[in-house]
Amino acid sequence: MDPVKFIVDGKEVVTTKGTTVIQAAAEAGVAIPHYCYHPKLSIAGNCRMCMVEIEKMPKLQIACNTQVAEGMSVLTQSPKVVAVRKAVMEFLLINHPVDCPICDQAGECQLQNYYMEHNRQESRQEVGKIHDRKKTIFGPNVVFDGERCIKCTRCVRFCQEITKTNELAVINRGDHSTISLFDNAVLDNPLSANVVDICPVGALTDRDFRFKVRVWYLEKTPSICPGCSTGCNISVEAYQNKIARFKPRQNDSVNGPWICDEGRYSFHELAGGERLTMPLIRQEGGLVPTTWENALQAVLSGLRGSPALAGILSGRNTNEETYLFAKLARQLSSAAALEVFYQERELTETQRILMSPDRSPNFRGARDMGVGSNGGFAGLLEELASNKFSSAYIVGEDLLGADGEKIRSALQQLKFLVVQDTKLTETAKLAHVVLPAAHFGEKEGTYTNRQGRVQKLNAAVICPEGARQDSEIFLRLLDGAGHKLAYSAPSEIFSALTQEVAAYSGLNYDSIGEQGCELGSGGGAAS
Amino acid sequence: MEKVLLRNIGVPASHTLSTYQSRGGYASWRKVVQTLKPEQLIEEVKASGLRGRGGAGFPTGMKWSFVPKDSPKPKYLVCNADESEPGTFKDRLLIEQDPHGLVEGTMIAAFAIQSHTAFIYIRGEMAFGATRLEQAVAEGYQAGLIGKNLFGTGYDLDVIVHRGAGAYICGEETALLSSLEGGRGWPKVKPPFPATHGLFGCPTVVNNVETLATLPWILERGAAAYSAMGTEKSKGTKLFSVSGHIARPGVYELEMGYPFKKFLDEDCGGVPNGKKLKGVIPGGGSMPVLKPEELDKVNLDYESVAAAGSLLGSGGVIVMDETVCMVRAALNLARFFAHESCGQCSPCREGVHWMEKILHRVEHGGAQSGDLDLILNIAGNIAGNTICPFGDAAAWPPGAFIRKYRDEFEAHIAAGKCTVRN
Repeated sequence: MDPVKFIVDGKEVVTTKGTTVIQAAAEAGVAIPHYCYHPKLSIAGNCRMCMVEIEKMPKLQIACNTQVAEGMSVLTQSPKVVAVRKAVMEFLLINHPVDCPICDQAGECQLQNYYMEHNRQESRQEVGKIHDRKKTIFGPNVVFDGERCIKCTRCVRFCQEITKTNELAVINRGDHSTISLFDNAVLDNPLSANVVDICPVGALTDRDFRFKVRVWYLEKTPSICPGCSTGCNISVEAYQNKIARFKPRQNDSVNGPWICDEGRYSFHELAGGERLTMPLIRQEGGLVPTTWENALQAVLSGLRGSPALAGILSGRNTNEETYLFAKLARQLSSAAALEVFYQERELTETQRILMSPDRSPNFRGARDMGVGSNGGFAGLLEELASNKFSSAYIVGEDLLGADGEKIRSALQQLKFLVVQDTKLTETAKLAHVVLPAAHFGEKEGTYTNRQGRVQKLNAAVICPEGARQDSEIFLRLLDGAGHKLAYSAPSEIFSALTQEVAAYSGLNYDSIGEQGCELGSGGGAAS
Repeated sequence: MEKVLLRNIGVPASHTLSTYQSRGGYASWRKVVQTLKPEQLIEEVKASGLRGRGGAGFPTGMKWSFVPKDSPKPKYLVCNADESEPGTFKDRLLIEQDPHGLVEGTMIAAFAIQSHTAFIYIRGEMAFGATRLEQAVAEGYQAGLIGKNLFGTGYDLDVIVHRGAGAYICGEETALLSSLEGGRGWPKVKPPFPATHGLFGCPTVVNNVETLATLPWILERGAAAYSAMGTEKSKGTKLFSVSGHIARPGVYELEMGYPFKKFLDEDCGGVPNGKKLKGVIPGGGSMPVLKPEELDKVNLDYESVAAAGSLLGSGGVIVMDETVCMVRAALNLARFFAHESCGQCSPCREGVHWMEKILHRVEHGGAQSGDLDLILNIAGNIAGNTICPFGDAAAWPPGAFIRKYRDEFEAHIAAGKCTVRN
């Protein structure tokens, strides 16, 4: 990569040959406004918002398609540039309905933002606006408003270049140009809702999220998608202690700027529904509420010395929880078989762009923490079904899925069953003790994705009163079982496990950062 | 003056191979393939001084020389026969009456860049012309003038006639290529340029019909004979299609540098019915209008018309007499461009129709005093800021009409209606 020296707004900058002006300026801390440019898509050059003045060139040039050259001097704030930005903003707004009060994009709209930065004039357009289709359903997750669209074609290019599914096209000409489903397609590819994220205006909005919350009320927490072991980086965005949406958070080592639709909407099932807020204990006639004290005592006396204990964790349990659970199970029974939930399904080519075949984001981490048996999860389930165990401790998964009847009868025959979950699942209904727990969005900790990248989960919402973090429950049980640990916070548990688990040796909780770090990289945040 | 382009026009059955060959047709083609190296051919055309007749006037030989010789990709020669500039109908005459002249010129250009596939992209509405070209190409294949191993030299060349689907923008060379590729007729962002990344991403030259149709004559008579005609910088002859208020409209071939006024008054018979001349658009609908008093010093060559503040463009001369409402003329052109804007980039997509709507109220009532300056401002915001030259083409006419006939526009606004036609 040959170095190239160029000048942006009088500041000398060194970049590599082939870099475009818009990228090189960004590297130098100069943001050039743009709509159609997207670093992961081909250059369209249609919005004309990124025009800059380049010395010795008579006309302004688009920064997105101009490569830097040795000695090139670029002006991003000259009078000509300021004037053309103002002009382009006017063009983009003359047929725009300016319906900000009822537009879901308000607050995160580049028309609003750039209007304030680059235009700020009253409308000079008095001769009638072009009308277009309103609230047009493009697919299960995406709705289109043609009047708000600025025809940047990011969505069209996304479907051509990223998913290669080609559902969208531009039709008609001039200011009647509009985005349309192509040839009766439906925008239902597995990554479809990303078009909402890359739409810089309110033309494409999320059917699930729209009209739920004004975006400026959202509290945003960087975290990891609980959908599968790809470990896409996300921002969990919450309002009044409820998760309102997931947005992708760019991490070029994992997911780029995208997430899949399944992951995006997974919080409804994982975080929704009626929560357990009190421990339950089985008495004659069924499960009844009890105190944490009684429940934990019952668990200890029910499981201690168990001749054959099956311990099953959710794939959404963090490394820290998994580490503690392994300790606890071994403390309770010398014959404990541990497993983490894992099931695969077939994926299509488009699904494989991001998705992993499992639904266990921390499957690899659980294996690293020593949770695993010879026959794998399927083998353990089979053993459970054939009554090989006397007791079981099941965390965060409902095992009575499609093929649940055999498991149901096996669970019913157990001497003692503990279920720890957020909701009263069908599995929980069979338990002797049910412990109310926190879900992925309420906890802090780490997941290790399928590539071996350790990434950090952060609590986006607070778990309901009465429910407890899995790690806290495990620590209290360990304490009761005579193995008191001197630590409790996720960071402390992490640092303890790095002492014991060789692959994690040398990693530092604080340096995992928002982009995670690879196992074997010796800690420190990767790019 | 000896006719270069119109030499076969008017000859009975001029469109047939036998007539064309009886008048020396395809001799240049045979000579090129059998005796010239591509570099020699390019040098010859450079020496002739031939410039692109599509409107921009770029030197033809130079354009060919930009094609990389060492590219492993196939190269393409594309003839732009998408003639649709308002007031322009010169290519159509050549296509319909002398199709073999165009086919021969197309093949000579293809040989210059060592292309083995040449496309003639013809405007969809020119159904008759397309049929004529298809017949000519079929005759050429049959006679062994097109196809494999031409004249035993091992050189292969196919010629494909492709009909467009009716969009003015497809006359812009990169939009034409997008359309030819099977895509939406959208201009491509440049760089890269077609010479290196053209049709299907391969090195491509796009030449206008008139440019290509000149080549057989140059090869037959020599570069010197061609460059002996015209002015210092505008060599040879050029076609002009004259329409509007003129006694003898039609297609004329003139030596470059011919006095504009003399052409209109003598060759074309002047403005008929004793009316006075009000304005002339010299180079097709997208070029700035000239007032009668501006014509005296103008000669019909690239430099002279440019010095007068307009452009020679396609040579589509539109003559308007004193009965013409200049607001309506500007509105008519604005409506055309608003209809034809491809909609790809913001300034053109949004601005051109906006100008039309304001012009509409100047002509039909409801205009306000600031409207003219607003139009000039919008035109200024479009020109130079778009992906392709369409933005300039759409922005120039209203600007020129308003600047040159401002009193008439002001009178419309003051009266709240048209002051010329009523």
